[in-house]
Amino acid sequence: MTNPTGAAFCAALALGLLAAAAAALPRRVRPAAVGGATAAAGAAAVAAGLSAMAGRPWSAWLPDLLPLAGVRLAVDPLGGLFIAVTGAVAVCAAVYAAGYSRPGRDGPDAGHGLDGGHGLDGRAVQAMLPLFVLAMLLVPAAASVTTFLLAWELMAITSLLLVVAEHRRRASVGEAGLWYAVMTHLGLVAILAGLAGFAAASHGESFDRLREAADGLPPAVRSAVFVATLAGFASKAGIVPLHVWLPRAHPEAPSHVSALMSAAMVNMGVYGIVRVGLDLLGGGPAWWWLIVLAAGAVSALYGILQAVVATDLKRLLAYSTCENMGLVLVGVGAAGLLSVSGARTMAALALTAAMLHVVNHAGFKTLLFLAAGSVLRATGTRDLDALGGLRSPMPATTALFGVGALMASALPPGSAFVSEWLLLQSLVHALPEGGTVAAVTMPVAVAVVALSAGLAIAAFTKAFGVGFLARPRGAGAERAHESPPAMIAGMVLAAAGCVVAALAPGLIADGLSRAVGVAAAVAGPAADPVTGPVVLRPAGMPSTMSPLLITVALLVAAVVLIGVLRAAAAGRARRRARPWDCGAGPASARMEYTATSFAEPLVRVFDDVLAPDTDLDVTPVEESAYLIDSVRYRTEVADRVEHRLYRPVLAAARWTGRAARPLANGSVHRYVGYGFYAFTAMLIVLAVTR
Amino acid sequence: MSGGLYVHALDMAVGALLLAGVLALWRRDLAAIVRLFAVQGAALAALVAVLGLHEGHAATVALAAGILVLRAAVLPLMLRRAMLAGGAFRETEPLVNVASSLVAAALLALLSFAVTRPVVELAPSPATRAVPVALTVVLLGFFVLVTRRRALSQVAGFLMMDNGITAVAFLTTTGVPFIVELGMSLDVLLAVLVLQILTSRIRDVFGDSDLDDLRELHD
Repeated sequence: MTNPTGAAFCAALALGLLAAAAAALPRRVRPAAVGGATAAAGAAAVAAGLSAMAGRPWSAWLPDLLPLAGVRLAVDPLGGLFIAVTGAVAVCAAVYAAGYSRPGRDGPDAGHGLDGGHGLDGRAVQAMLPLFVLAMLLVPAAASVTTFLLAWELMAITSLLLVVAEHRRRASVGEAGLWYAVMTHLGLVAILAGLAGFAAASHGESFDRLREAADGLPPAVRSAVFVATLAGFASKAGIVPLHVWLPRAHPEAPSHVSALMSAAMVNMGVYGIVRVGLDLLGGGPAWWWLIVLAAGAVSALYGILQAVVATDLKRLLAYSTCENMGLVLVGVGAAGLLSVSGARTMAALALTAAMLHVVNHAGFKTLLFLAAGSVLRATGTRDLDALGGLRSPMPATTALFGVGALMASALPPGSAFVSEWLLLQSLVHALPEGGTVAAVTMPVAVAVVALSAGLAIAAFTKAFGVGFLARPRGAGAERAHESPPAMIAGMVLAAAGCVVAALAPGLIADGLSRAVGVAAAVAGPAADPVTGPVVLRPAGMPSTMSPLLITVALLVAAVVLIGVLRAAAAGRARRRARPWDCGAGPASARMEYTATSFAEPLVRVFDDVLAPDTDLDVTPVEESAYLIDSVRYRTEVADRVEHRLYRPVLAAARWTGRAARPLANGSVHRYVGYGFYAFTAMLIVLAVTR
Repeated sequence: MSGGLYVHALDMAVGALLLAGVLALWRRDLAAIVRLFAVQGAALAALVAVLGLHEGHAATVALAAGILVLRAAVLPLMLRRAMLAGGAFRETEPLVNVASSLVAAALLALLSFAVTRPVVELAPSPATRAVPVALTVVLLGFFVLVTRRRALSQVAGFLMMDNGITAVAFLTTTGVPFIVELGMSLDVLLAVLVLQILTSRIRDVFGDSDLDDLRELHD
């Protein structure tokens, strides 16, 4: 084991198992031990991933670990990228969990340890966390179909158990868990069908064998494999219309689990699409990538629109995940499309932008979910309308959420800005090289990326401004108190990662180009897609950009502006006064902007898309139609895709179930008889037809 | 083992396997069914032993000894204990009467001969020519499972089905991997344990082990 990648990866696996075993320790030390060991495993995984991205791949073949198939592992630069991202998220989430899982001693959330040992520091929940991280590390390292599916299913099950960890405390958790379980297993069925068909057609199941055989397969088989796996992977990535589980499961899961799911697990969907579509199958016809691009564009727009109107803080973040995964898929789709028309440099650039966005999204979404968890723990509510005024009781959380919101909105000092800028560059400059299809789709894609970037700013302004600033609007927000140091440490780690990614994305440019080089369909150009540690230079185009210099310039401008304003104000006398309130008395918290009112103009603009459900009840005073006693206004924006697409399917399933009830009359003989008659009938058919 | 003796021994063993299955359809005495099941287990063990001696596989012969212990001694003893504890010694009227059951058995035998013809043609040998018989045993066991009312005779039917499956496996492959056979036998043992517990529970609740009483549980 002289290979550093392999050594670090094995260390990560061993530490993860150790962390799971640490769940057997007594409750007093359990969260700290499990959190510490999981964080160490995450750190080792980051080392392994970075080492693989630096060009030191590793592979292993363990024939005896699994009967019949064995386990095949291989960490290449592409897998290394996802392993490093998962490891980094795991470090932050595990450190945070050490504080978050402890029973709160005061505040509204103090019931943690009281419900019969089923709190977040329970043995099973604590053991699941490192196993979930392990499964997510194994998925990008798997190098055969069985190993991949096994890791994938382990990831699904452990995450499901973590989602339902708090099912005794809220009834909605069970429903979210059910949605998640059904969607993730339907996705698994699609992936299983696709990969099993792929393996059967190529007479082997190791990824090396699939890669060799892919070119010789008939186009229909290739397309079937791609479409089936795309459906499964897209549902994991939360792509509309397969996203319905995401805005339910992410808010209901404990916050460190939300962070892991939203920042690390959904990435595995993207990984799957890139691995199967661009690497194993080696690219395909243009219509594959048009589907990917269109799904990405729809999900980016729909996700951010729902995020803008959401009033639940964690639901807002969950929909923002849909949006960001959509943007990533726009990049992946554009890369595939450009590789078809031969513009490989541009294709590599688009894929690089997508991968960079995966990294950046993981950073800021970890930070935001962890901060949201801190708010939830302190106030007991996720409702933005009932929050506000958290700046003075929770200064650290407020500052860290602010950093996260800045990173998430595509404005210059933020990390999302860098990757979205690269994405836009690749889409805009693709026009001359891309051919007719690109000429039609790219401008639309540019518009989608730009619009979603704009709406993201509105969404995060709302989350930060309405959720944290002004005065408290609810009892929970009034009682808020700062979170324990371990939680803050987890958030600070995530924020530090974000800032590094925002200021010096060039640091991982080499690793990114190696990761993108793994994708056979876009590999080939001699030059790296993006170069330069300080100034980013996308290959093959005149534009350059330096996030570091932009940030320095912004800071200088801000300092100068403040200095000028101070100087101008210095000469005048100061006077304390109440803000203008139309003479209605001192402004109260009820006059503040709430999340609903902030989003109201946007709801009006996108009325046709969102179709909000609005109720206005006006109750007049008795015997008078003109004197109003009370007015009730209620508006609710439901997930329209869910209503239009899923309700009918669910209703049909329920109807079929009811119609089939007479088949099951309770007689055991009848049930066994069904099996017997079906078996005999099958044999008769076989005997007659052969 | 010489060629002629091998074929005779094989045919004897497979014949005993089938005969025990058919007799189980005919008899209504639960004690007799348990005894027939033990005989069938011994026939299966003999079949595996013959195959092992012919091939010269010591492991297969050892497996035959294991099968003999499990299927001709342990499982019948457990069934017997369950029967004595249950206190019911005769099968109530089956869903299909004995005469029709025997006709059905003949039809099932015809069906399995028709179905397995391609398998026999694939590699004609004394062992594969016995495959249709083994498949008949599977179908007969299934038939017992479907038509008998007592939980105990159903368990016996289930186990006969499993005997048939094991016989098919050995006749077609001559040498199931040891680990697979071990896993299968453990499965069977576990299933019987569960069924035994279930039977006693059903009896405690309903005072009888007629499975059709379970219909009362249906809402």
